[in-house]
Formats: sequence, C-alpha cells, structure tokens
Amino acid sequence: MAFFDAFWDIFTSDSTYLNGALFAGLLLFAASGEWIAERAGTINISVEGMLLAGAFTGALGFDITGSIALAMVAGMAGGVIVAGVQAEMSHRLAADQFVVGLTLNILVLGLAGFLDRVIEPKAASARVWEIPVLADLPLVGQALFGQRWPFYLLYLLVPLSWWLLFRTRWGLEVRASGEDPQSADVSGVDVNRRRRQAIYYTGATSGLGGAFLVFVQIGDFNESVVSGRGFIAIAAVIFGGWTLRGTVAGCVLFAGALSFRLSIQGLGYQLNSELLQALPFLVTIFAMAIFARRVRPPLALARPFVRGLK
Amino acid sequence: MTTTSTTAGAVEVPAVELRGITKRYGRVVACDDVDLTLHRGRVHGILGENGAGKSTLMKIMIGLVLADSGSIDIDGRPVTIHDPQAAAALGIGMVHQHFSLVDPLTVWENVALGEAGVLRPAVVRERIAEIGEHYGLSIDPDARVGDLTAGLRQRVEIIKCLRRNPSIVIFDEPTSVLTPDESAQLFESFRDVVAAEGRAVVLVSHKLDEVMVATDDVTIMRQGRIVDRLDTRSTDVATLARGMVGREVSLRSERAALGLGDVSGASRDDRGRAPLPDRAPVLELRLVNAQDSRRNPVLTGLSVSVAPGEIVGVAGVEGNGQRALGDLLSSLVQISSGEVLVDGRPVSTRRPGAMAAAGVAVIPEDRHDSGVVLDMTVAENLVMVRPEDVATHGLISPDRLERRASELIERFGIQCSGPDAPLWTLSGGNQQRVVLARELSNSPKVLVAAQPTRGLDVGAIEYMTEQLRMVAAQGVGVLLISSELEEILDLSDRIIVMSRGAIVGEMTRAELDSDRLGLMMGGSAA
Amino acid sequence: MTGRWREWVALYALCVVAALVASAVLVEVTGGDWRPVLDALVDGSLRGPGRWGQTLGAAAPMLLVALGTIVSARAGLVNIGQEGQLLIGVAFSVYFGFLIGGPGPVNIVVMLVSGAIGGALWAGIAGVLRYWRGVPEVLSTLLLVTVASQAVAYGLKNQSLLLASEANRGNRNQVSAQLAADDRLPNLHLFGNEIPSAAFIALAASTGIAVVIARTVWGFRLRMLGRNARAARRAGVSERRYGLTALLVGGAFAGLAGAAMLAGGGFQFGNFRLVPGFSANIGWTGLLVALVAREKALAAIPVAVVFGALRTGSGFVGSTGVEGRITDVIQGLLVLALLVPPALMFVRDRRRARAASVART
Repeated sequence: MAFFDAFWDIFTSDSTYLNGALFAGLLLFAASGEWIAERAGTINISVEGMLLAGAFTGALGFDITGSIALAMVAGMAGGVIVAGVQAEMSHRLAADQFVVGLTLNILVLGLAGFLDRVIEPKAASARVWEIPVLADLPLVGQALFGQRWPFYLLYLLVPLSWWLLFRTRWGLEVRASGEDPQSADVSGVDVNRRRRQAIYYTGATSGLGGAFLVFVQIGDFNESVVSGRGFIAIAAVIFGGWTLRGTVAGCVLFAGALSFRLSIQGLGYQLNSELLQALPFLVTIFAMAIFARRVRPPLALARPFVRGLK
Repeated sequence: MTTTSTTAGAVEVPAVELRGITKRYGRVVACDDVDLTLHRGRVHGILGENGAGKSTLMKIMIGLVLADSGSIDIDGRPVTIHDPQAAAALGIGMVHQHFSLVDPLTVWENVALGEAGVLRPAVVRERIAEIGEHYGLSIDPDARVGDLTAGLRQRVEIIKCLRRNPSIVIFDEPTSVLTPDESAQLFESFRDVVAAEGRAVVLVSHKLDEVMVATDDVTIMRQGRIVDRLDTRSTDVATLARGMVGREVSLRSERAALGLGDVSGASRDDRGRAPLPDRAPVLELRLVNAQDSRRNPVLTGLSVSVAPGEIVGVAGVEGNGQRALGDLLSSLVQISSGEVLVDGRPVSTRRPGAMAAAGVAVIPEDRHDSGVVLDMTVAENLVMVRPEDVATHGLISPDRLERRASELIERFGIQCSGPDAPLWTLSGGNQQRVVLARELSNSPKVLVAAQPTRGLDVGAIEYMTEQLRMVAAQGVGVLLISSELEEILDLSDRIIVMSRGAIVGEMTRAELDSDRLGLMMGGSAA
Repeated sequence: MTGRWREWVALYALCVVAALVASAVLVEVTGGDWRPVLDALVDGSLRGPGRWGQTLGAAAPMLLVALGTIVSARAGLVNIGQEGQLLIGVAFSVYFGFLIGGPGPVNIVVMLVSGAIGGALWAGIAGVLRYWRGVPEVLSTLLLVTVASQAVAYGLKNQSLLLASEANRGNRNQVSAQLAADDRLPNLHLFGNEIPSAAFIALAASTGIAVVIARTVWGFRLRMLGRNARAARRAGVSERRYGLTALLVGGAFAGLAGAAMLAGGGFQFGNFRLVPGFSANIGWTGLLVALVAREKALAAIPVAVVFGALRTGSGFVGSTGVEGRITDVIQGLLVLALLVPPALMFVRDRRRARAASVART
C-alpha cells in the first residue's frame, strides 16, 4: 500500500532524521531554558520573542564581525535583552507575566521586521563538523554527529540545565521558588530574584537557539524564521510534565512532526500541505490533551510572588 | 528567689541585648522603645497577645524587618542585621510559626534551603543524622516533606534551625500543630538544647501554661511595649494574664483564649443553658469518605451530627482532616462515598454552592482562600453568596447594594472607609467581620466556624465567641473546628476528636476528661 | 484622592513619552528623521481627507475583539487566540452567507451571527480542552491560531468550501467570492468621512459589556470567578460553566469582528472578499487593546481609536522614506510602557497595605 510505503520511505530516509535533529535542536535550546523558568514559577511565553531576537542579533553580529562564534554570543545577548524586559517587568514590577510576554513577542516581531528591512544583515551557515566513526552510524549518524558545529552546544547545554537545577544551590532555590515562594522567602531565598535569573537563563539559551536557527538550520535571517516554534517549546515542557527527560521527549516528538512535513514533501508524496503545516501544532494540542492531567506542575506556576500576599 | 541578672552573674556578657528598639508602620507603633536581654543557658518566654509586637520584635532579630531605631548587641558587640543570612551568620536561628518548608522537596533539601555556599548533599544528610541522634529528632533525610505528619514536619523545622548550630534559638509559637504529648516532648528537647549547650532560647507564645512550663524568664509585651519582666518560678498564671491583657481577666472566653481554662468538666459553668432536647440534627455527615487532588484519603468514614442550637467542637491536631471537613461544607471538596444532610435533606457535594444554598454558613480557616475576594469591594464581599438579594431580573441595584452593605457595616461594626473600599484595604480583624456579617445575614441553619479566632486580638476574640454563642442560642447548629483546645472546651456542648480524617472519640460536656482527650488527639482511640 | 489621581496621570504621561522618545531615537539611529514620520502618521490617521472614517473602520473590529477578550479575562482566563477565532469567524460568515443567501439585510445578519458562532466554536475547543482535559488555555488558544489559518487556507483552495467559482475570481486563486453590494454593511457619511456602521455596533457593544460586567449578577459572578475561584465556587459559581461561557463570548466577539471586517471593511480588509492574510493582525491588536485598557470595556474605546490611528497612519509613513513597520514598533513600545504604571502602583499599594497589616500582627 502506498500509504505504508510512504511511511517506510520516511522512516528510512536520512533527511528525516537530519531535519528532525535540527528541529529538535532548536526546540531544545528554547525548552531547556524554558524548563528552568517554569520550575522557578514563570510560564515564559516571551521565549518566542527571545528566539527571534537571538536570530536577529545573531545575524547582525555575523554581519558586523564575520565570525559565527561571535555571532552566537550576539544571539545570546539578544535573547538576554528580551529576558531582561520580561524578568524586570513581571518579577520586579509585578506586571502580568502573560501580558508582558505577549507584548514582547509582538514588539520583537515588529522590531525584527523593521530592522531587517533597514539593515538587511547577511548571514551564513556554520561549518560542518563530522564526528569520526559516530557520523557513519546508519540513519541517525549524520543527524546527531554530522552537524554544523553550533549543534554540538546542545550536548553541553541540556546536561548543564539539569546540573544547574538539581545539583546546585541555585537550582534548589529556583525549585523552592516555583513550588512554595512563601516558604522559600521565609527560609531566606530571594524568590523574585531567582525567578528573574531563571528567565535570564532562558533568554541566554533561547538567544543561542535563535542563532542556531540562523547559522545551522537556515543560513539566513528573515522575520518569519521562528513562527511559533517558541510556543511549541513551551508545550514540550508541559508535555514533559516539567521533567527534563519528558521535555526532551516532547521536543523530539514535536520535531518529528515538523520533520515529517518536510520529508513527505521531499520524497515527492502529495499530502494536503495545510494539514502538514498545522500538524506540529495539532500533535502538540493532542499530546497536551492526553497528558496534561497526568503531570504535576510546579505548585506556584504562573503565580506572582509579592511578599505577604498569597 | 533570685532575679535574672543575678542568676546570670554580673560578669557574664548577655547573648543578646536589644536597646530602644522602635518600629513604626505608618501611625501604628509595632515596637515602642523595647529593651530585651537574653542570657545563655536560659529559656526566655516572650508573652503577649496577637498584635502585642512580639512577632515584629523577633522579625527584627532575624533580619526580616529593619528597626527604625535602637541597637542590637550580640555577645557585647554592636551589630546590624539586614537580612536572614546576616542573622544566621551571627548565630541566630528561628523555628517558624508557619512552616517554612517546601512540600515537594525532600527533608535534606529543605534543611539546606536558605544557606550559602556550595551544595553538598552528603554533608547535609550526615548533619541531619547527627542532630537527629543528639536530640532524639531522627528522620529520613530523603523523605518528601509533603508526606510527613505535622509532628515530623516540626522536627524538620527544628533540625533546619539547629543545623547551623545557632547560639540563639527563637521558637515562634511552636505548639499549635502538635498534640499535647508532642508539645511536652518538644519542651524536653528545649531543655537539652539550652542547659547542656549554653544556647539562649526564646519562646514566643500567647499561651500562659506553655510559658509557665517551659521558661526561666518571662517578658510580657502589650501594644508594642514591654510591660513586665519576671522570673517564671516566682510568678503565677494570674499575674502573667493580668500583665498581658492589662486588667483582671474574668470573661471565660478571654481566659480560654489565654489558655487559662482549667480543663475539668465539673468546674465549668453551664451558662444557664438547658440540656438540649433530642431534636433532629440540622447537619449530618454519614460515613463520608473524600480524597484530595492527589488521591490521598483526607476524610475516612467520617460521621458527625449537629442538632439545632448545639455547638459541636471538633478538636484535634491540625492537619488531620479539619481543613477538608471545612472545605467539604464549603462545596470545595467532593465526597467519594457517604452522605451529607442538611435539615434532613441530602446535599450534593458536586454542585458548586450547594452547601451555601442549603443554609450552611462558613467562616473558613483561611479567609483569603475561600472567604473573601480581596480585589472586590466591601459591599460586593458582603453580598457575594447571594447577589440575587440586591438584584432584580439579574440586574444589580447599586442603591440596594449600598443600603444592604451600610446596614451590615454598622450592625457588625466593620471599620472601613465605606462600602466601596476594596477589601484588601481592611485589617485582618475587619475582613473577618465582613465574612461573619455576610454568613450570618443569610439566616443560616448551620454555621461552620473553622479556627474562627486565629490571628485575632483579645477584643476581637471576645466578639467572635459571643457571636457564636448568640447564633447557637437562636437555634443554629454550630460546628466549631479549632486546634485551640481551650476554645473548644469553652464553647462546645459536645466535643468530637478528629484524627487522620476520622472521628476517634466523642464526649459531652459532662463527661469531659482532659487526659482522655489528649490521648484521643494523639490518635489513640480511648 | 486627587493627589493619587495626579500621580496616575503623571506616571502614564511619563511612560507614553518615554515610549515615543524611544521610537523617535530608533528612527534617528537608523538614519531617518522622526518629524516627517509623525506628520505622516497624523495625516494618515486624522488630518487627511476621509482618514477619520478609515481610522474608525480599523478601530471598530479591534474594539470588538477587545470586548471579547475583556469578558474572558474577567473570568481569569488568558485567551490569546483571537487572531484564529477571528479567521474562523470570517470563514463561517463567508460559508453560511453564500450558502443561505437571502435578501441583503437578512444576509448581513446571517453573516454576523454565523461569524460569531464560528469564533465561539473555535474558542470553545480551548474551553473543552481546559475544563475537561486540563490543558492551559493560554497555550491551546495560541496553538489554535496556526491551525485556524491553515484551515482557512485549505478552505480557500476548495470550491465546495470557501473558494469562489472561476467566474467570480478571475485569475486569482485562494479568494472567496465578493459580497454583492446589498450584502454589505452600510457606511454613514459624516463630515466628508465614511464611518462604517461596525463602529456603531462596537460602540454599543462596549456600553453593553460594561453594564453586564459591572451591573448584572452574571457579571458579578464572572468577576468573582476571575479574582478568587474558590470563593466563587463556594458561592455557587460553576467554574466550568462560567469559564466556558466566557471563552465562548470571547471567541464570539472575535468572530463577529471578522464578519464585520468582511461585510463592512471594504478596501481596508480584503475588499468584501476573504483573502489570504485577511485578519491583518486585528486579532492580536484587539488583544493588546484589551490589555492596555486594563480589562475595562469603556476604556477600550479610546485605546482602540489610538491603535486604529496608528494602523491607518502607517500607510502614509512609507512616503517619508522610513520603513512602515516602525508603527508596529511604536505600538509595541506603547503597550509595554502602558503596562508599567499599574504594575508599579500595585506593588506600592500592596506594600503599604502589608506594612499596615504587619503592624497589627
């Protein structure tokens, strides 16, 4: 049957895995930071804006310096700037975190569109580093070990996020802030400060993610490069039940849906293109509908902390 | 009899010396020129009503609040304490009144929380074991705090404090969640901590008997000032009570609030109330089972009945299902089996508001949780349960709303800038009056009062208990849920004891036996 | 109290000026000149002939979207999927408008009603997901935006759904048929401006929503739910029923806005046809209007007019040599700046209240 043939072709095609790894990589940059922000008690929807800001400043950094390494740093800085507005407004001024996040996403979209047309930064693709032997593994070899070099940052970043949250005092205080800010406060934890720092961390990882998007996945910048991937990263954290393992699984699953779309077209199969466009979002919604009840969110998630207030 | 200063010896430098501590909040003076001296090797009681300024004073000592003026000397050296970390560095530790524990974290994580430096789990675990052995406070360092009983949580709280080896330990109202047995045990460990190791210990309390039993010195505070300093052995309960309230204490409710009631049935006055006739219960719970959101049982086979005009006291250590019982009667918890009847008719626990509609009024344990809406006005809070009363065809009449509110504000003496004031601008006592006014204005059949006097000052406590008596006298069935045993003993016609979500015992006023009651509260059926 | 009022005005003024200065600086830094940009904005939105009507034409659907947002926000829900609800609304009104037909006025009503129903159903999905499956509505509404735009794009490729017959679309693909002249919402001619009737519908709806929220028992309970869900439950408010209703109303207003854009938007919005990109960010902007108006229906009116003016003015900015997208930036900065005063005052008020209550315990 043609239908199963198509599936077989997709699952045996290297490009499925390569694209999947790229999409998962982007999601993981954003989600490994977002995970920490949420464990600290913030649903940080400006992660979308952080990705876009990182992509733009990354491209800008490359345009100016010509170095991809420096451009990655510039991308990180772009994410951190957005994080700064989000963090200071929602956890110093007590503005609603969703409202700030949403406004930031729209503002960054406007700014990126405006500046892109005014400056028109030129971007490029980073060099490919093949890891010997591993890159020759069947199917996943190229996807995991034959990538452009910024991809390998993930192998550091994801364990780093885990280590920060579970093995450092900072992480302990972040978790306490997300579960019970009142008790954490009484114990001597500066709750809002930890929450702000968690957002800054998200800004840094997402900014890198934005630059990754430009220098690894696309090789160019335009204002629609992100188009909702940040939201999928948030969904991955929720899907993963606020565990890192689950979050990674969520990223891989949703990336699979994104990659499926490219592969099926690339292999010449005809499938409704609108359905394919909507597929990652539909998969995300279905996944949340099935799993959202089974997981325990941080108890103070999305609740602002003002000392003396519940 | 020796006085504090001679006992400690003239040459010994006091562990803590506070001089002229003053703290103002707007026009209110929380601490007014307070001097306090603490010595090593002694337990110092600080006695005062809620609002006397003792909490503020302690917060100043541990750096949660900055004093406006005054000085602090530790071991004879002047210091400033800006934050809890600074206090910890100076060797000051506090065991908090409301737990400072984070439920989803483990014991060792909680113990480590709030310290500085690199996190070393092995070291923390080791220290927990050491402390446990030394003070008889053994505990599993990897248990989740949320799974522990109140007594064990108190233990974690103490370990968390002692872990830093503080030279000055402050216990802030430590017994509210403990059984009488556990309290006694706690005071034992006080002694160990103090005498053997030369620490200075402060016991903050509003309970006279506790202070009499556990302390060496007493300082009494009233309205932000120190009114008396006494040697515990040379004083008596009546003197302490007089100092604390500022006049002779006569009213029963007041005595109860201060922990002065003598716990024996015979000596209690019956307030001239006739024995209750066997009337059909106005509230009846039959074999009720309920679970919390994580499917842990919170009520197990609970049966309770309240007759019209009867006050039934639910005694028990906090955290044994009292909150779930209150929530059940507020339509906030669903039962998995059993039956709830009001006035003989079954009431659904699934439908929101069904309890209120059936005539169950509630003064909730935590008014901010389900009692009031802080961001709405006083008037709106007053009609919240039945807004239809001030509306025609679904349209609220501002005139009628205002009239209704003004009437209740006057009748219940609610102090606020007007019916349109947002509720959060009111003081705690006045917010509580808003709840009381609303609940009583709906002519209820049953009144559930959960910890109704917690956090109120003596005047407000008196008002509240009088209201409860009055309501009962009018034929309303009152279910009084309280962890203050004295309050229950003072008000109830019948006492039932709750432990682990079930009723473990029941006694009428005539059968009252304090030892048995204590045993039952500890969970042993007697 | 007057001192407090003055504080508010000063704070708001300061923040707005800061946002405008920042925008001006951005223009200067990128090599433009801010003065002609300002001139163009005012010309394009107010001074130019017939521009008032255009501004109100843009403001009306924003206001409608904002009103729905206000209702769901008052129930404590974060519905941010208006853009998608609006699109599904338009799709419904195109489909049922042409399916049912009927004489002009009847058809207009059919289109408006089916638009509202479409938007409500789309928002209802998020409601069902939230109340039966525990999915946070902030995410489901958001993700459904993309799904909605793909669904509409699919509809526009199928003649049995939204696509116009070949005779009606000429060489264009992905467009619906155009509404006939008497199927369109009329405009009112005033002082040389054509004021679309949607503006009057939106104005009336604002008053209606303001009254419903402030004065009715339903609005009272809705507010209770939004502020303290447990107190509301005890008082008999079913979170499911009220919350779901609030989401449906929110979606209905977004859908209605879409239908009004189709039936009365003219050249500004697709010229009486459903075309790709029809929603033109009106859903997002309407959401911002609601947020800036701090969930108050009457305050949303002037805010919508300001945002409408920014939008119509932006068309004139291009002629100054400065990239027209600058208006998106101005708008974003304005919204961000307007979030500051209430947040600042909130923290201050609560600190004071807390200080006063700490003193008593």
